[in-house]
Amino acid sequence: MKRPSPMIETRGSGTDLDSAMTPMIDVVFLLLVFFVWTASFQIIEQILPSEMSSQLGSDPVDLAQPPPEADFDDIVVQIGWDGTNPNWTLNGQMVATIGALRDRLSILADIKSDAPVILDPASAVPLGYVIEVYDASKMAGLVKVSFAVNPEQN
Amino acid sequence: MTPMIDVVFLLIIFFLVSSHLSKQENQLELNLPVASSSNDDTNQDIPRVTVNVKQDGSLWVRGREIAQNKLKSIFKSAVENEDGKAIEVRIRGSRAAPYSSVEPIMIACTESGIWNVTYAVYRDEKR
Repeated sequence: MKRPSPMIETRGSGTDLDSAMTPMIDVVFLLLVFFVWTASFQIIEQILPSEMSSQLGSDPVDLAQPPPEADFDDIVVQIGWDGTNPNWTLNGQMVATIGALRDRLSILADIKSDAPVILDPASAVPLGYVIEVYDASKMAGLVKVSFAVNPEQN
Repeated sequence: MTPMIDVVFLLIIFFLVSSHLSKQENQLELNLPVASSSNDDTNQDIPRVTVNVKQDGSLWVRGREIAQNKLKSIFKSAVENEDGKAIEVRIRGSRAAPYSSVEPIMIACTESGIWNVTYAVYRDEKR
């Protein structure tokens, strides 16, 4: 036996139609609340992978084998902090601006892109400036960028 | 039928919202550094410990403030819980946090045998 749907049954009476609409409004309202709630107003985070050398860990080192001869010195970037502004030293030479540092790193990357870069930030340097230099090295095309740490601190 | 549909909808919404919130469990509001060479976070399956570093240098793991000397034990227990599987340490540091508060995290990672360390950053749209 086929029964007429409740919508047809209630047709003709304003009050019944209202009561049939209410659940739909409920559901639509709930969906609206759900989408507003889950819409992400946050800025999307990305990740910056860092390679850590295993020198500090417990990896065995074969002392009998001489270390491979380095044909290119490490690029050491020291980041200092005077309380308000950062300053940069590239292999002992002061670099005036981050732009100049980017240029110098690009030149070095053109010569040898797998030259090891060691970032040595002073302890007071805000992380934002450390990441800025790390990012500048990566953008210059240098592939081996690592952080200098002082194990005595821990 | 209608009350049942209502209830089912409510349940669906509840589970969706709660799973969404549980993903954001570690999302302390921080002013992250910006970087141009960053990647999308594609590998969601890898077990991960997130260390939040606030502007004042305090470290927060799983919603609790922790001392620097506790990092190593946290990382070691995380490695043990995953049966030696490689785990990732995500450093979510405020861009104003001093490097001296981030350095112990990296030292603790190397000492616990964790080599996969990533920084959470915002993409620099200017470049």
